[in-house]
Amino acid sequence: MDELLNTAPCGFLSFTDDGLIALVNDTLLGLLGHGRDELVGSHVESLLPVASRIFYQTHLFPILKLHGRAEEVYFTLRAKGGAEVPVLANAARRERGGALVNDCVLMHMRQRDQYEDEILRARREAEEATRAKDEFLAIVSHELRTPLTAVLGWSRMLRVGNLDERGAARALEAIERNAESQNQLIGDLLDFSRIISGKIRLDVGRLEPASVIHAAIEVLTPAADAKGIRLQSVLDPKAGPVSGDPERLQQVMWNLLSNAVKFTPRGGRVQVRLERVDSSVEITVSDTGSGISAEFLPYVFERFRQSDTTTTRRHGGLGLGMAITRHIVELHGGTIRAESPGEGLGATFVVRLPVMIIHTAEPPAGATSGPLTPPGGEGARPPALMARLDGLRVLVVDDERDARELLTAVLTQSGAQVTTASGVAEALGELRAAKPDLLVSDIEMAHEDGYSLIRKVRAAEAEGGPRIPAIALTAHARPSDRLRALSEGFQLHMPKPVEPAELVLAIANLCHSRRQ
Amino acid sequence: MVVTRDILARNNVKVFGSGTRPMLFAHGFGCDQHMWRFITPAFEDDYRVVLFDYVGSGKSDLSAYSPERYGGLEGYTQDVLDVCAALDLRDIIFVGHSVSGVVGMLAAIREPERFGRLVLVGPSPRYINDPPGYVGGFERSDITGLLDVMEKNYIGWANFLAPVVMKNPERPELTQELEESFCSTDPKIARRFAEATFFSDNREDLPKVPVPSLIIQCSEDAIAPPDVGEYLHRHLPQSTLRVLRATGHCPHMSHPEETVEVIKEYLAAGPDA
Repeated sequence: MDELLNTAPCGFLSFTDDGLIALVNDTLLGLLGHGRDELVGSHVESLLPVASRIFYQTHLFPILKLHGRAEEVYFTLRAKGGAEVPVLANAARRERGGALVNDCVLMHMRQRDQYEDEILRARREAEEATRAKDEFLAIVSHELRTPLTAVLGWSRMLRVGNLDERGAARALEAIERNAESQNQLIGDLLDFSRIISGKIRLDVGRLEPASVIHAAIEVLTPAADAKGIRLQSVLDPKAGPVSGDPERLQQVMWNLLSNAVKFTPRGGRVQVRLERVDSSVEITVSDTGSGISAEFLPYVFERFRQSDTTTTRRHGGLGLGMAITRHIVELHGGTIRAESPGEGLGATFVVRLPVMIIHTAEPPAGATSGPLTPPGGEGARPPALMARLDGLRVLVVDDERDARELLTAVLTQSGAQVTTASGVAEALGELRAAKPDLLVSDIEMAHEDGYSLIRKVRAAEAEGGPRIPAIALTAHARPSDRLRALSEGFQLHMPKPVEPAELVLAIANLCHSRRQ
Repeated sequence: MVVTRDILARNNVKVFGSGTRPMLFAHGFGCDQHMWRFITPAFEDDYRVVLFDYVGSGKSDLSAYSPERYGGLEGYTQDVLDVCAALDLRDIIFVGHSVSGVVGMLAAIREPERFGRLVLVGPSPRYINDPPGYVGGFERSDITGLLDVMEKNYIGWANFLAPVVMKNPERPELTQELEESFCSTDPKIARRFAEATFFSDNREDLPKVPVPSLIIQCSEDAIAPPDVGEYLHRHLPQSTLRVLRATGHCPHMSHPEETVEVIKEYLAAGPDA
């Protein structure tokens, strides 16, 4: 064998049509730890672990025989000591010295092999996720259609007009009930899509959990009465306030209680308990219903899961309620767990929320209205206590007018003096003219972005001299965006949408630490 | 009822030769009818040679594939019987490689009137060991390992490229490459074929095979070891066992002359040999 081939940086192996190894280069011997004498003359199969041997016999050998070549074939070789070495082979069948031989070039691929394992695993997971989504879509369409069928059916009967007064009243009632139920489904779907996109927001304030529980019980009492289910509550009024969004926590209670009522048979019992446990408030909802099997218990809070996905599912619904519930509880810094001794034996859900540690003052009158509510209005009510920015001069840079106006309103209400700029050039002018104490800038702006602005600002500042504190306010919320904003020269990166209180607090802190 | 013409296209059936008695060749797992090309010339003059691809292999009609039908060997058996019915074959000499040996036996059990003789090349009624009494040659984990190796070999082209290739008439070189690649065109189908093959257990069918058979056993075969050949010979009524000097699992490709010789001898010796 030519020296070049012998020491080439890839394995080389040649075997006869009978499978006997005729040539092997030093590189391959080094890779496998075998001596040349051990390999030459032995059968190529002796180098192959069982799985690869079957593959060789059923795939590689026929291909070589039929087509004379094979490319990018993956298999493993057995090294001395038994370890398997994954290789990628190109092989060609040719005549040499009057005999037909199969020449193989072998590249080992340990890391690539692991990488491909990862890819395959990821693909299987993706396929599983797609399957779950398809199933979910099927359920969604079915669930949306069910109330619609009732609405359409009753409306047609009303139009035909042969219902008596009582019948018509019943028809209207059914239409209303079904429309409500569809409204609930759509609400769940929207919540779910907000969860997926991470857009669910809390409107947090001081809250007595008992009031939320009472409200949910009130809503569900008629449904429970209709099924003859006793709805009992044992609520400790001193369980303590929590910091929470009343509407969202009521949704949690409603989900837990309506589920309990749904899965509890006629004559059963649903119980709610509220108590203080250490520094948490614990809300326990237990029922005497159909229970949860041990296999399904770990998946209760997963999206798309309902224990019964067959077409004859006994209970309607999207299987989203529990996923939404857990998400809301976790957004409140709490936990939720499910317990059940088994199918048919009832279930218990326990929500734990941290007790509010600092008692804040009631919000000043009038602070809940006015320009603080952003357009689109999702949960941007000012919190109970807002820091003050009295006397601070803030420059707000954003190319969107609405954003500038909103920020101006928020900051002015907190006592700041606000100037605005709609672009980088204007901002640089304002910085020179108005000499603000702090800069708040958007990142993505037409023509020139916020990064460019901060670079110019920092470049203009004297070496070792005072630097104006700057906050990047942006929809780019990935960790890499944050890193970039900080490395370009901003002190703080705040993802949009920002809570007004957070922004005010951040400004106050930045300016305060600077003054010290 | 599927029409004859459709079956012939579905299974890519090829018929040639100047004889009248049909000789039906069934390929094994991992390949297609091309694997027979080294030995069919020896039979063309005296027989009517019939070649086909199982649905899912070679140039069969992939749209006829269903994972349910081909989840077990019954589906493959039905393919053989469909081809027999479409051509109205009788007194067939059935030559089956590897898993097709068992497929031929199952077909002969179901429609004995069609089959004259079975020639089984490297057959096995069960590939996985079943201690204490039976040595098939493999453990279950070996087969899982094979499925992994197959999956990784299909990463490159089949999963991601094949659909594109198929719809790429302006780039014929891609299609050419595909044809020269593995004989099973879809990795999911190949996987299911592998499972149907290697997880099968047809030992209980052996005594029911109603026609004489020739077992062609290689002297060293990693897939159907000699023990398996002897087991088959003991349990198959009217069977003849011939052990070749040839090694490997595809003697009809690696040692066509010896394989042809053994088959011809067997056919010449008459039914009671």
